[in-house]
Amino acid sequence: MNAIEIKNLTKNYGTARGIENVSFNVEEGEIFGFIGPNGAGKSTTIRTLLALIHPTSGSATIFGKDCIKFAPEIAKEVGYLPSEVFYYDNMRVIDLLKYSASFYKKDCTKRIKELSEIMELDLKKKIDDLSFGNKKKVGIIQGLLHEPKLIILDEPTSGLDPLMQRKFFALLQEENKKGATILFSSHILSEVQKMCNRVAIIKEGKLITVEKISTLEENTYKKFKLEMKLVLDKNYFKMNGVNNLEAKDNVISFLFKGNLNLIMKRISELEITNIWIEEPDLEEIFIHYYVKED
Amino acid sequence: MNIFMREMKAHRKSLIFWCVGMIVMIISQMSKYTATSGDGQSLNTLMASMPKSLQAIIGSVSFDLSKLSGYYGMIFIYLALIATIHAAMLGADIISKEERDKTSEFLFVKPVSRNKVVTAKLSAAFVNIIILNIVTLITSIGLAGKYSKGEPLTSVIVNLMLGMFVLQLIFMFLGTGIAAVSNNPKGASSLAMGILLTTFILYNAIGMNSHLEVLKYLTPYKYFDAKNLISSVGFEPVFMILSALIILVLFTVTYVFYRRRDLEV
Repeated sequence: MNAIEIKNLTKNYGTARGIENVSFNVEEGEIFGFIGPNGAGKSTTIRTLLALIHPTSGSATIFGKDCIKFAPEIAKEVGYLPSEVFYYDNMRVIDLLKYSASFYKKDCTKRIKELSEIMELDLKKKIDDLSFGNKKKVGIIQGLLHEPKLIILDEPTSGLDPLMQRKFFALLQEENKKGATILFSSHILSEVQKMCNRVAIIKEGKLITVEKISTLEENTYKKFKLEMKLVLDKNYFKMNGVNNLEAKDNVISFLFKGNLNLIMKRISELEITNIWIEEPDLEEIFIHYYVKED
Repeated sequence: MNIFMREMKAHRKSLIFWCVGMIVMIISQMSKYTATSGDGQSLNTLMASMPKSLQAIIGSVSFDLSKLSGYYGMIFIYLALIATIHAAMLGADIISKEERDKTSEFLFVKPVSRNKVVTAKLSAAFVNIIILNIVTLITSIGLAGKYSKGEPLTSVIVNLMLGMFVLQLIFMFLGTGIAAVSNNPKGASSLAMGILLTTFILYNAIGMNSHLEVLKYLTPYKYFDAKNLISSVGFEPVFMILSALIILVLFTVTYVFYRRRDLEV
């Protein structure tokens, strides 16, 4: 069963670009990554799912119900963390969380306490006085306090320090174990990589691909840079899967895709002084997918 | 209920300011009456000696200023102006604030329909304008008892306040209607205020120039002219129907457009 089904979803903002014919499904119980650079249409897609904006054409369902028609009903089971959190001024954290809880027909007091302890948030503070990161924590708690079956996160980690990020991810994984489906948007692939089963990649309003993370990792290039004692003929690395081969003095760099053991064997025969093996960044992944399209 | 309470709380301070302002306005105007009405006819004579257009601006035309009812009728338009400005600003603000303060991503992902949100907000605004109206009513009756020299005024004031209430409703729904239609949450309040002032200037222009009398249907302030409400003319059916129509249209516009709009974030 799919938690989210998006079919040919299109949203135009006058002349400005929105999203075009986006279709993908998120299965129940999975952690699904939604990645793309800023302005690609991630937030537009999410806001349509949440019925904040209406699609120009196409449709989307959440738990089998149309996301616009049944928005209030669906919302009972959905927790949302917006990319930027803004709240009513002059409210204390606890007032806001209680106000938030008052929309659900559940007693969330215990859960609020639990979550605030995990996230180390002082409930008595005024929201105005909180730092960006702490406001984000308020957002996390208010998104999770009703134990939603579907959690939608839009760029959730911005503003959180690495320690908090780890706690937050642990929290999400726990929710996922309990059965929650998670849709997680980000422009940082490595962040998504750690958490997700599958990802959808979107760019310039169009869905480029939906892949399993494992496939994506197999398919992506690794960046190699080697520094050697002696100047080496760069043709030494002319082999299957090597791209963008460059040599400058005694430094050789290239992108590699394929069985890593083969390339490692080849490297081990050399006398190297330094080596860098890096994950290609998101841009390079996109380039990779554009190449594939052509 | 939670949204209603939230809005009541959010507007509490501003409502208190408006009520205090209204009370100060009534007290200062009423005390002027005692200062000028020393001998019955002098105020009438003084006013009559002024040019007609000036009288129209002050609003003294066709009021018997030797009586408190006449004097109150003259200042009514200013009370109505204050109350309608409050209503229009409140209406525009209460609907557009979620987008202006970027809290729409909080409220509208909750299990509550947009219609329910609008209903809660309209109810809160409605209670706010009623409170301002009642404060005006009580202050006026209280002070009238002190200055009226035995002239029975309560029914006159009640009538005027009923008229003011309909005016408040019209302008509140003007505010909510504009806020629901407008793509610019910050501009809704200014636009409502612009329309309000235009109709108020038109009201004054009609008072100054009788050729403009036909335009009286365009300005709600004319619908509840104090001189009619004080005299035996009372509420005119045509204006009551017109008011009801305007309110109904703006009410519908508020709901329909707010339900359909793309919320800015």
